[in-house]
Amino acid sequence: MIKKTFNVPDMHCSNCSMTLESIEDELAGIKEINASYHKQQMLVEFDETKISEEQIIAAARRKGYTAVAVL
Amino acid sequence: MKSNQKKPALDPVILIALGIGFVTVAVVLFALQNQGPQTLAIGAGSGFSGRIMVAFVTGLTTGGLSCLAVQGGLLASSLAHQIEQDYLEQSTPHKRHGKKIQPSARTSSALPILLFLLAKLVAYTLLGVLLGWLGSFLTLSPLTRAILMLAIGIFMVGNALRMFNVHPIFRYFSVEPPKFITRYIRRTSKGTDTFTPLFLGALTVFIPCGVTQAIMAAALATGSPITGAAMMFAFILGTSPVFFIVAYLTTELGSRLEKFFMRFVAVTVLILGLVTLDGGLNLMGSPLSFQNLSRSLIPAPSITSAQASSAQVAASEGGLALHVNNNGYFPQTLRVTANQAIKLSLITNKTYSCARDFVIPALNFYQLLPDTGAVQVDIPAQPAGTRMFFTCSMGMYTGMIVFE
Repeated sequence: MIKKTFNVPDMHCSNCSMTLESIEDELAGIKEINASYHKQQMLVEFDETKISEEQIIAAARRKGYTAVAVL
Repeated sequence: MKSNQKKPALDPVILIALGIGFVTVAVVLFALQNQGPQTLAIGAGSGFSGRIMVAFVTGLTTGGLSCLAVQGGLLASSLAHQIEQDYLEQSTPHKRHGKKIQPSARTSSALPILLFLLAKLVAYTLLGVLLGWLGSFLTLSPLTRAILMLAIGIFMVGNALRMFNVHPIFRYFSVEPPKFITRYIRRTSKGTDTFTPLFLGALTVFIPCGVTQAIMAAALATGSPITGAAMMFAFILGTSPVFFIVAYLTTELGSRLEKFFMRFVAVTVLILGLVTLDGGLNLMGSPLSFQNLSRSLIPAPSITSAQASSAQVAASEGGLALHVNNNGYFPQTLRVTANQAIKLSLITNKTYSCARDFVIPALNFYQLLPDTGAVQVDIPAQPAGTRMFFTCSMGMYTGMIVFE
């Protein structure tokens, strides 16, 4: 399990964080997502052997958001 | 081929017509309320039916948009799930033929909105009972109310600036519920279609908008569970048509129009926030409020001959007369001799508006005047140049006494 922070600059309300957090119910390998509208970020705890950063970014894109991994 | 397409629950044209009708009635009610004491007794500010009517009209005219700005997210989340389900249900059979269709939100978006609003109505009515009950144990002083109004005003202006994306700092005006609550809401929203909007509607009680908070404060001030409940019920009922129409049309007409509505809501919230701030400043007796600042620039309205004669009578008795009308105080500026105590007669004549709740912040004087009659206030001597402001308990109607 690793924790990775993603910048999500196009969140425009608190509801966006709820929408992004719903990805944790949809993708196997994600343990938890904590998204913050205030910080415009989401912290994802995931199993890197089951899911990749790219898949998480793609899932966010399907929800209508641009996620960029923080290096 | 179209057998699986349900008929829309409500025609949008009827909804728009209803909305325009409601808003027109509200505007007419407001216009009539300002015409004079005998024109519209139901616009009363202090009687039971008057309070209910004011709460309803406030909801109808401003509360709907303001609530939508704050609580729209919860409604959107229940609708989003509904639309997503509709999309999946309708697109699945067509995918087999390689054909893609657009989701038809019209099939069922009216029902979840109605359920959402129904739950909201019940939740806020219960909150009104609680507030009225709590209010029976405490009384809000004008200063407390002023501080509350300032806080609400800052909250509303901050939220409007957040919606305009002015600066990242304004994002903190958006309340982020704790994660365990959002997670619970999210997982619950995967339950039945009826339960989700009902549950989310009830949850709005935890994120009231600025206007709602003002009505909540008013419900608290009633000190009666029944009046508090009735006020909250009337207000939320008033917000419902606008809330429903905007939410329904937003769902129907897509994101382009949604952006337009959000900007409209942001402008409305900004104006309401500034008005609330101004009311708070008035209630504190601040010379910096818009009304108090502008009074020195704009000449006071002339008084009628009847008012002039009663002012003369009061003056001959060593006092001053102030007419407390439904649409404010006349004259708005009273000029008196400095370093002399005066007696101020507050004269009401079928006055039912909030002007009756008379406040002189500098003297910490607060009294609910009789709807018809005269009340005398002793004003202590003040040095020359003093400007003593007076206002109604909502900071709407104002005036000042100039000592010279």
